[in-house]
Amino acid sequence: MLQKRDKVLLLRTFQGRTLRIVREHYLRPCVPCHSPLCPQPAACRHDGKVLSGDVTHYVIPDWKVVQDYLEILEFPELKGIIFMQTACQAVQHQRGRRQYNKLRNLLKDARHDCILFANEFQQSCYLPRERGESVEKWQTRSIYNAAVWYYHHCQDRMPIVMVTEDEEAIQQYGSETEGVFVISFKGKEYPEHLPLEVLEAGIKSGRYIQGILNVNKHRAQIEAFVRLQGASSKDSDLVSDILIHGMKARNRSIHGDVVVVELLPKNEWRGRTTALCENDSDDKASGECPSEPMPTGRVVGILQKNWRDYVVTFPSKEEVQSQGKNAQKILVTPWDYRIPKIRISTQQAEALQDFRVVVRIDSWESTSVYPNGHFVRVLGKIGDLEGEIATILVENSISVVPFSEAQMCEMPVNTPENPWKVSPEEERERKDLRNTHLVFSIDPQGCEDVDDTLSVRTLNNGNLELGVHIADVTHFVALNSYIDTEARTRATTYYLADRRYDMLPSVLSADLCSLLGGVDRYAVSVMWELDKTSYEIKKVWYGRTIIRSAYKLFYEAAQELLDGNFSVVDDIPEFKDLDEKSRQDKLEELVWAIGKLTDIARHVRAKRDCCGALELEGVEVRVQLDEKKNIHDLIPKQPLEVHETVAECMILANHWVAKKIWESFPHQALLRQHPPPHQEFFSELRECAKAKGFFIDTRSNKTLADSLDNANDPNDPIVNRLLRSMATQAMSNALYFSTGSCAEEEFHHYGLALDKYTHFTSPIRRYSDIVVHRLLMAAISKDKKMEIKENLLSNKDLEELCRHINNRNRAAQHSQKQSTELFQCMYFKDKDPETDERCISDGVIYSVRTNGVLVFIPRFGIKGAAYLKNKDGLVISCGPDSHCEWKPGSLQRFQNKITSTTTGGESVTFHLFDHVTVRIFVQASRCHSDTIRLEIVSNKPYMIPNTELFHQNSLLLKNELVKEVTRSVEEAQLAQEVKVNLIQEEYQEYCQTKGRSLYTLLEEIRDLALLDVSNNCGI
Amino acid sequence: MAGLELLSDQGYRVDGRRAGELRKIQARMGVFAQADGSAYIEQGNTKALAVVYGPHEIRGSRARALPDRALVNCQYSSATFSTGERKRRPHGDRKSCEMGLQLRQTFEAAILTQLHPRSQIDIYVQVLQADGGTYAACVNAATLAVLDAGIPMRDFVCACSAGFVDGTALADLSHVEEAAGGPQLALALLPAAGQIALLEMDARLHEDHLEQVLEAAAQAARDVHTLLDRVVRQHVCEASILLGD
Repeated sequence: MLQKRDKVLLLRTFQGRTLRIVREHYLRPCVPCHSPLCPQPAACRHDGKVLSGDVTHYVIPDWKVVQDYLEILEFPELKGIIFMQTACQAVQHQRGRRQYNKLRNLLKDARHDCILFANEFQQSCYLPRERGESVEKWQTRSIYNAAVWYYHHCQDRMPIVMVTEDEEAIQQYGSETEGVFVISFKGKEYPEHLPLEVLEAGIKSGRYIQGILNVNKHRAQIEAFVRLQGASSKDSDLVSDILIHGMKARNRSIHGDVVVVELLPKNEWRGRTTALCENDSDDKASGECPSEPMPTGRVVGILQKNWRDYVVTFPSKEEVQSQGKNAQKILVTPWDYRIPKIRISTQQAEALQDFRVVVRIDSWESTSVYPNGHFVRVLGKIGDLEGEIATILVENSISVVPFSEAQMCEMPVNTPENPWKVSPEEERERKDLRNTHLVFSIDPQGCEDVDDTLSVRTLNNGNLELGVHIADVTHFVALNSYIDTEARTRATTYYLADRRYDMLPSVLSADLCSLLGGVDRYAVSVMWELDKTSYEIKKVWYGRTIIRSAYKLFYEAAQELLDGNFSVVDDIPEFKDLDEKSRQDKLEELVWAIGKLTDIARHVRAKRDCCGALELEGVEVRVQLDEKKNIHDLIPKQPLEVHETVAECMILANHWVAKKIWESFPHQALLRQHPPPHQEFFSELRECAKAKGFFIDTRSNKTLADSLDNANDPNDPIVNRLLRSMATQAMSNALYFSTGSCAEEEFHHYGLALDKYTHFTSPIRRYSDIVVHRLLMAAISKDKKMEIKENLLSNKDLEELCRHINNRNRAAQHSQKQSTELFQCMYFKDKDPETDERCISDGVIYSVRTNGVLVFIPRFGIKGAAYLKNKDGLVISCGPDSHCEWKPGSLQRFQNKITSTTTGGESVTFHLFDHVTVRIFVQASRCHSDTIRLEIVSNKPYMIPNTELFHQNSLLLKNELVKEVTRSVEEAQLAQEVKVNLIQEEYQEYCQTKGRSLYTLLEEIRDLALLDVSNNCGI
Repeated sequence: MAGLELLSDQGYRVDGRRAGELRKIQARMGVFAQADGSAYIEQGNTKALAVVYGPHEIRGSRARALPDRALVNCQYSSATFSTGERKRRPHGDRKSCEMGLQLRQTFEAAILTQLHPRSQIDIYVQVLQADGGTYAACVNAATLAVLDAGIPMRDFVCACSAGFVDGTALADLSHVEEAAGGPQLALALLPAAGQIALLEMDARLHEDHLEQVLEAAAQAARDVHTLLDRVVRQHVCEASILLGD
């Protein structure tokens, strides 16, 4: 029979009085349970739906779950759901009729395997609400109680899972009854971040470690490393980075964030994976044995979020459908592998499918797997050159809007009608070198922005005077002017494979600040008085000058003159109009100057060597270029001596300016340091060298350079190049810093072996040089006891600025590398790898991994991975004709070789530095950049590696590649005809000519390895 | 908040009963010694007290006396604390008068009034707590009180209310169900003969459904009869024990 209970409700009337209402509540012994496992079907009287019998467990959602995630519970895939009456009533009361009707329809729908259990009318399930108990608590308690009853009702034969959002409930009930599991349904995807005070205290006490998160590009889902930062690295005895394994441990931090890490106990440490792996194959690494365990941790908080604009791609049509047709929240895939997918809310997903789109991240809640973001703008079509270039720019946070009117208004005018002239005031203040000094520049052919010139002469006392004259950019760019602010933001000129983005407007960079031949220009000069025989530096003078460059030479011509071959004279325009006599005089004068210069440079260098410095030149050239891992390392093997001469002069100037500004402003000078590398990074290099029988001594920069010089295989010059490139990779990057923030012994420049170094000689292209110029000017004023006109940056501001410039330099390098890769891919994209001869090339193995090898292709300067085991688990095998094919088998990796054995017993071994023939093909990717892939075709060299020849051709090859891609893109656009004008405009904008563009010429400067031109590592 | 769901898809009413189920009924007879007959009944949370005096001579104006039968005088009152919000007047308002009249009609039909000409039978009913179905509770209480007083009746008068929601007839409406405003039917039945002593209905109901609702009410009334019969027998049993039979 029914049991009667009273329910007392206290309601509040509209008048505000409390009303006590007593309602009856009848309980019955039998309420239909709708379960096929019911022991008393007769008593339970099942009418309507019955739960299906083939489920592994029943799901009982808590009231909150039913309220908030009804949409999820509606999925027909979810089976065996029991809705408790308590939960349904909560929905009815809290969510209104619509939601409740949805729930009712769900219960009525025969396709959904769910039932309602009227727990509140069941006499053993009903729990009266206790005094002072909140409704929420009571509801959860009732539902749990009913779940337990239900479990026992089914004679404990069917486990029950209660899903709740209430952490307390999980704790309270989680282990109360066996067979009834209380778990969190959505729950927290990630643990909460700790509050800032806790983090700071933890860092101080050494419990936590602060660092910058670096996600592994190739295993973005799994591996990330935290590079130690700040004080924490000194205190703790950790030397390596900390591994963060998995997204959960990464706890919502994104690549580049400053995070706080807690180390895991040692038994949970793991190693990094050494197998080659693509991002898309997620569980590939599972079978591989990882390397030795390294410190592993988890992120407990984020100190600074370095979120920026991200380029993303919308899912394609097919993928959208799987996400649900009217889903307005869409997961987009960032171009950068290291960034997680972003959830954005838009209606235009379909329209934006073929475009690269910029989005911004807004938030990342702990309950969400993915961050939320919003749409910003469209960049361009996928696969379109301009779109892809824009992508690279955005990804590197490079903003290249044209200079504004306000900025251009600050620029001096130089038009044919109104030519720029040297002003009389300046003439008075500056030292005039126009008539006294023979000033000339040596640059690559066709160079427009000449920012350095040289001079040398004999003084009356017989001593020599060497001068380095740098364009006086700061004269035109006043501190904190619009153009200065813009230049500071850009920090450097960006060079991409087919174009460049200037730091300064072209009126300065290509005209007024360019020290062209035959025109008056302002300069900042450093002049040394040298002893006539010993070349000992007697005196040094810094100051502003006016110069007129007499000759604008190019390297090859200068070299010819130096070698005594005067046939090039005809190529020098300055000599054209002269009569024979004066021509001869002038020529003699010039040749003497170049000769003297070379002599001095040799001497200066020798002196550097004597002082315990080292001959790093050879390393330098290759090192910095190789680091880009591509085409750029195709450089002439023996640079001309003139290159070295010019470079040495520049290093000398940089060095002396560094000394000067540091002496004047010991706490706020901008210098450049190159920290010595970590020895452990050299281990791979040593191992590789050993494979070839060389010994590399890495104890100091000198020994390193010497042993690298010795490690030369006469049969295979590429070995040496690869070793050098490995050495570079082991080195740290050179960085700008403020002297106030570092101890003096840390100023050292490892690569150049100088105690102080800075960048002074390219103010047109680098903002750091502009800062140094200002510092130098202030130092001169200080010496003259004059008041310093401009406010100098404080140590703190300067440090901030250095960080910015360093970041921008890195961005410039990345964008250059990425654009080159883009061009490589576009070049190979239209070639059929099966037939085209150009896609087959000779390659050298330079690294061995567990499932493949890394191969360097000298011809194109490409480095890439070649798998020895393909996705189907087949391994490579070589027949008697040394042709490779895929067969079932296994791989075995040794220190310096990898052996592939087929089940048939054939085996083939690849050693380090083996020459193989590879086929180059492009792996297209919709969401990311295309990548070059290699496939080993044969284990024999493709051709006799006539590298000497390649070296000579290399530059041409590279130019050819860029040109061909540009041309094909151009043709494609011409076909559209609409954009024709646009292209030409763009050519104007980037100052390009259609043939050998200015950029390609500039690129050669870099390739020719003018030491100070490149702002890369080691210099 | 959505309107209350009077009958869920699973066939439950708000308080957990099914459509045809009555509320819990508890009753006692002979609660007051001074009165000729008295009874107390609880139908769910509706509680009513009935007291019967008579038959006795007509009090007051003799003109009211009926030559051939007894006068049935019914007074209904409701305690000020009987409802959720306190009432102003316990009796004498329109509703009470109407209720008294209905009770009088009911009992005039049931009591064998011709056995007591020129006399008067007083039935006082007080509702202590009102939670729906007050008329039914009053009739049932009064029946027991009349029986207690030993006044001859044709039969028990059993009353019950019924309502109609979503095509289903609900028996014995509670206050919540009454307040929802649907059709509501009150039936007083003489169960043995199946005669209707009183039938009253508020609100509109389609003719087609009337039969169904009436049947539900009648069934409920018969159920009430079973219970009342049990109460009476129990009471008689107890009384005879006391008398020492």
